Amino acid sequence: MSAKSGIGKAMAHHGELLQGVFDHIDGYLRRGLVSLPYPALTSLATFTPNARAEITVSPTGREKARRAADLTIASFAQVRTGGHIQLVSDIPIGRGMGSSTADVLASIQAVLDYLRVFPTAEHIMRIAVDAETACDSTLFKQQAVLFAQRDGIVLEVFRKPLPALNILSVDTTPESTVSTVEFEPARYCPAEIEMFRPLRSLLRKAIDSGDVRSLGRVATASAVINERFLPKPGLRELQAIASRYDAAGLQVAHSGTMAGLIFDPEDDRAPENMHLARKAIDALGLVSAPLKLERA
Amino acid sequence: MFERVRPRNLEDFEEPRMVPLGGHLFGACFFLMKLLPARFMLKRAVERGQLAPGGTICESSSGTFALALAMLSVLNGYRLLIVGDWALDRNLRRRLLQLGAELDIVEEPHPIGGFQLARLERLQEHLRRRPGSYWPAQYYNEDNPISYSKVAACFIDAVGPIDCLVGTVGSGGSMCGTARYLRMLFPDLTVIGVDTHNSVLFGQPNAPRKVSGLGGGIVPANVDHTQFDEIHWLPASEIMASAHDLHGRHGLFMGPTSGAAFRVARWWSDSNPGKTVVAIFPDEGHRYADTVYDEAWLESSIPGWNGTRMEEPTAVSSPTVDMTSWAKYPWRRRNLSDVLGDLPPRI
Repeated sequence: MSAKSGIGKAMAHHGELLQGVFDHIDGYLRRGLVSLPYPALTSLATFTPNARAEITVSPTGREKARRAADLTIASFAQVRTGGHIQLVSDIPIGRGMGSSTADVLASIQAVLDYLRVFPTAEHIMRIAVDAETACDSTLFKQQAVLFAQRDGIVLEVFRKPLPALNILSVDTTPESTVSTVEFEPARYCPAEIEMFRPLRSLLRKAIDSGDVRSLGRVATASAVINERFLPKPGLRELQAIASRYDAAGLQVAHSGTMAGLIFDPEDDRAPENMHLARKAIDALGLVSAPLKLERA
Repeated sequence: MFERVRPRNLEDFEEPRMVPLGGHLFGACFFLMKLLPARFMLKRAVERGQLAPGGTICESSSGTFALALAMLSVLNGYRLLIVGDWALDRNLRRRLLQLGAELDIVEEPHPIGGFQLARLERLQEHLRRRPGSYWPAQYYNEDNPISYSKVAACFIDAVGPIDCLVGTVGSGGSMCGTARYLRMLFPDLTVIGVDTHNSVLFGQPNAPRKVSGLGGGIVPANVDHTQFDEIHWLPASEIMASAHDLHGRHGLFMGPTSGAAFRVARWWSDSNPGKTVVAIFPDEGHRYADTVYDEAWLESSIPGWNGTRMEEPTAVSSPTVDMTSWAKYPWRRRNLSDVLGDLPPRI
């Protein structure tokens, strides 16, 4: 084993396309989500081993990343080692964009890179859940997955990755942040639990056929069902703008402040509509930014 | 928190088989649709502590809901009392008894609410006499429409985005529940309810009806009128002829309510080519072998049943007009009171 350092990189997400509770094959209902990966923003971790007994992290206070590195050493290192995790991230914090999960995943992968071991994605996700309580599905790049963010298990693998999407990104409350860990998980009533069945069915169809319109319908319905658990100021207005300018739908960060109007890159009128929608969002006093999310 | 309380039992029988019927029309063929709401209502009752192990279930039904409850009661060790009327035919009666259900048949209709209300009044007596017994109350129980999430999911799995849903209305559970779930995803969905002459559900004056399984003499609370874009009323002859068409042309041996849904869905689908239409076919035809599918019985009960079918419905100006043939009315997702003006008694 060399004494060289290891590096790891993980991406942000722009909230979720769907979040709720879903049947698992074991007969139990599980909380699950489908993240909307946002590869342009990343967290980069460098792990440098040293002779100390414990793992340290900088910037200081990124305790979950430190714990994740520590758990990875405990799981995979033949000889216990100390070390330091250096994180460099450009992901905004408290917006529901997965800054903390990205730090955790980058740290795990930095340690794995140093150790030269290559476990499965699900194994990595389980360490991440142990370190962080909940996690997202950005690690799965080949195919989109419905991921149980609190159990660290994949509920369903879709046949394809998410299609390319154009997103008009809006921070609904720039002045406040949401702590994912302190945020109480939604307690869905029985009627709401049932609503997720048809949503999951249409999501599967939409991903398998690359149908952005249907994907948008699922995201909008998920945003509406979850609105009572973490209300987004201006969600109704954004929904009205989305339908006025023929967006495919509206997605939100279910544990954050971000929202996104979804447009189909294949739609010839989308650039014009996005331009008009931006003006309408400006008029609400909110700031928006266009993002191009390529097919993974 | 989310633990399932029971194994799958008859759950595999709950989902419809989706059959293409030409154009973009699909029939959702159920073995016995009511198994789904019955199972869901009993599960929720157990979770709420309303139904104890070995407990007694009392319900008013002369049709397939009684049969579904009886099947589930056998499997789960419940006792079942069914209050029924004439519509509970000999074969169904025999099956219910073989499934261990106790039957109470109401002989006299209520002067205003007909047999349905007479049955409900008799049921109240039984519930008073048996404290602790559970009444699923499919007309009022919100879990009835809520249970149809699986059906909406099944439709999407089979055909993807849906433009139009057609089905008969009885308790309101299947049509209003399925429509609500589908509209979360397809807000422009056209929902067409199929009723029969002399049924008060959508405003016809109450009078004896010749077909059971759709319509009724009282308006169940589970009928959410605001779900419907259009209402059709079919006479018994069209319903019977259509059930035979479904059998003769598509090989599907289904009950009369399926025939009614097929009649309207075929017409709407042909008038709106390219639109994806799903029609709900709630049960199979075996129960009706001696009636709907017995031509001698048909000739004597519904003379001229196999005469000329109407090409299309007649548009009516109000749901209350006297109807003799296939009629349609643009309901436009309104409340019953908004359509009729004065609210008729809702029981």
